[in-house]
Amino acid sequence: MTSNDKTPSVLRRGIKSFFSFWKDFLVGDSPVLALGVIIILGVAYLLHNSAVLAPVFAIILVLVLMTFAVWQKTRTRRHSQP
Amino acid sequence: MIDQSTVLLFITVTVASAVEAVEALTIILASGITRGWRSTFEGAALALACLAVIVVVVGAALIQYVPLYILRVVVGTLLLIFGLQWLTKAILRETGFKALHDECDIYEREVATLSQEKGIRGKRDSLAFVVSFKGVLLEGMEVIMIVISFGLAGGSHNQLETAALGAVVAVGFISAMGAVVARPLAKVPENYMKLGVGNLLTVFGLFWMGEGTGVQWPLGEVFILVLLAIIFLATVVLVSHFKRVHKREMEVQHDVKR
Repeated sequence: MTSNDKTPSVLRRGIKSFFSFWKDFLVGDSPVLALGVIIILGVAYLLHNSAVLAPVFAIILVLVLMTFAVWQKTRTRRHSQP
Repeated sequence: MIDQSTVLLFITVTVASAVEAVEALTIILASGITRGWRSTFEGAALALACLAVIVVVVGAALIQYVPLYILRVVVGTLLLIFGLQWLTKAILRETGFKALHDECDIYEREVATLSQEKGIRGKRDSLAFVVSFKGVLLEGMEVIMIVISFGLAGGSHNQLETAALGAVVAVGFISAMGAVVARPLAKVPENYMKLGVGNLLTVFGLFWMGEGTGVQWPLGEVFILVLLAIIFLATVVLVSHFKRVHKREMEVQHDVKR
């Protein structure tokens, strides 16, 4: 095998591990949190002209997301128990 | 005069860095005791040097070339995701749905794994070097994320310096403690620290994400304290509710077994 044959696989492995590091870092085992935060970002942007609605909705959505994430994890753990 | 958001920023970065430093210290101790200190320290030193370069180069470049509102949206989003992850895990641990992080247990496992590998104590040991380098770099990356995020969202070199100082204080303090006791810091109330930092990261993340998207927070920066009170209250309510749920489930399981 020549060094040219090796290069793509080393490069591919490097790129793969780079993205898998960031995926673990940001998404981890709770994709719902990453998705939820992106939705909150969108809602905050859409409502940013309203001085009242934007802060109120942003806070409520964070509280809902927090509660849902904890509830979902407790449910998963209960179902995975023998 | 030092304003309250700078003080909160310093506390957040210091406590968050301390949590990660405790985890890195466990790896360094396991590697140093089983494989020898020389290569372990070399690995840790190289990782610290890499992390310092990342802070200086990336942090300064981002402040200079990226508009503040974009930085705040990106940093706020990352911090909010990161903060909610910490908070959720800490609530699950506090309520009993997830096992508490046990540094002694992790230490024993690391020692057992490293002891099985052949090596020569005292001379250069590539395994000790790699384990120590990877451990410090990976745990340090989380600290760097927090340092750069907090440093940048403020929009000045001053904030970056305050955040970096917080991290240095935490790492220095934990290293000194590690050198004195020479075993994993099992007495550190890690879950309470994670609950606190999770609260702070969530609050700063939400505040800066909002600022970046153009949300007008009432009272300006003082509203950070209001957000902190809201998220803290929600955490207390969730912990007490799910603690009761867990207790009830344990009682039901106990009754079924009998």
